[in-house]
Amino acid sequence: MKQHLGRQSGVQSVDVRLIDGKVAIVPKEDGRIDPPQLLKAVYDSGVSVAEMDITARGTIAKDASGNLVLNMNSSQSFAIAPNELSKELESLADSPAAVTLRGQLYKKPEGKKKPKLDTSVPLKLLVLEIQKKE
Amino acid sequence: MNSKKFALFVLLGFAVVPVSQAQIKHVEMRVEGMT
Repeated sequence: MKQHLGRQSGVQSVDVRLIDGKVAIVPKEDGRIDPPQLLKAVYDSGVSVAEMDITARGTIAKDASGNLVLNMNSSQSFAIAPNELSKELESLADSPAAVTLRGQLYKKPEGKKKPKLDTSVPLKLLVLEIQKKE
Repeated sequence: MNSKKFALFVLLGFAVVPVSQAQIKHVEMRVEGMT
């Protein structure tokens, strides 16, 4: 799995802790890492992902439906799942202010040992912590 | 460096930094079925 992940574009280093099943990935400096691709790489290596968290910095915008989106660059953005913390980001929508968030991008559905990974469904970011507003 | 140049440098810095540092900084996963 470590080799599978290490081969993905944008990955600087991979640290696997066998004791608790935690995998930490440090992106390269340009930060152009693709979380859905990482999920797929883990599944392809024969293990299943229980959850995936990211820490990311970007700007907040609203999409055409009025939902919040974290924009990181012209080609990468994540829809933000509504919760109590996401309400605090409403005021930053479409402003140039940058924000650093920690959030959950993926959680394995309950009751399934190894669910089939559906990469066609876009991942939504559930905000767990607002680390910095600038 | 005179004060005008310094002020310009600081202003440009604020304009460029938020865009250039917009990125994923860390990814953490919990996996199951690892032997």
